[in-house]
Amino acid sequence: MNNEMTLSFVAIEENEALARMAMTCFITPLDPTLEEISEFKTIVSEAVTNAIIHGYECDGKSMVTVKAQIVGQKIVMTIADDGAGIFDVNQAMEPMFTTRPFMERSGMGFTIMESFADNLTVESVIGNGTVVKFEKTFSPVTEVSRMR
Amino acid sequence: MANIEITESGILVATLRGELDNHEANQIRSVISSSIFTGQVQAIIWDLTALGFMDSAGIGLILGRMRDLAPIDGETIILNPTSTMEKIFNFSGLGPNIRHSSVDLVIGEIGGVLHEQ
Repeated sequence: MNNEMTLSFVAIEENEALARMAMTCFITPLDPTLEEISEFKTIVSEAVTNAIIHGYECDGKSMVTVKAQIVGQKIVMTIADDGAGIFDVNQAMEPMFTTRPFMERSGMGFTIMESFADNLTVESVIGNGTVVKFEKTFSPVTEVSRMR
Repeated sequence: MANIEITESGILVATLRGELDNHEANQIRSVISSSIFTGQVQAIIWDLTALGFMDSAGIGLILGRMRDLAPIDGETIILNPTSTMEKIFNFSGLGPNIRHSSVDLVIGEIGGVLHEQ
């Protein structure tokens, strides 16, 4: 089954939940396991939160755009903002690195995204925004496990 | 959503429900921090049994409260996370704080430690 979607929303924290919910609905036809859903939701949540907080500083007017495509059992997804951009992507992807320790950001977002996603890439230009792209393949449910 | 109770022996039990993201963590943080700074909290149990989702904001929230408790050597226990949450805690070095148990048993475990001091 193939499918495609685009969702845009303003940069407020409440929309983190919106993005997770919409994306969970979108992948439901792939029959993912609970573990796969929860890993996928975590990746989406981390990337969207980054765009809202770091990209736009929760400005409430700039748009975050999430695009997703289902190809067979695989989802290909991008989370894009036109915001601040990341000064040094390699540094940002190091575990525990955060530019906002006073806000209690753990600095684990990219580590978590990389662990749960396949082929995660980050493109960022200072002043022009950031695009996070990843894939995740959901294991097809076998007839045996379906009957349980 | 969080329900917060403090036992007589000063163990704060934070029972979390629903989804813990950045937005939700910001709401919970102030409530718990103010309890800690009254000086009556010796340890925190994060009961995640009914929590459906958590991202790295949960790590920030828990690490922050561990920092608050550090001056008094207060213990932190993370109770019954899902397997996805457990992976996230392990990435962040919080694996040793995880228990799969019940609130009462963990209160007993910490209480014993408190009495020995």
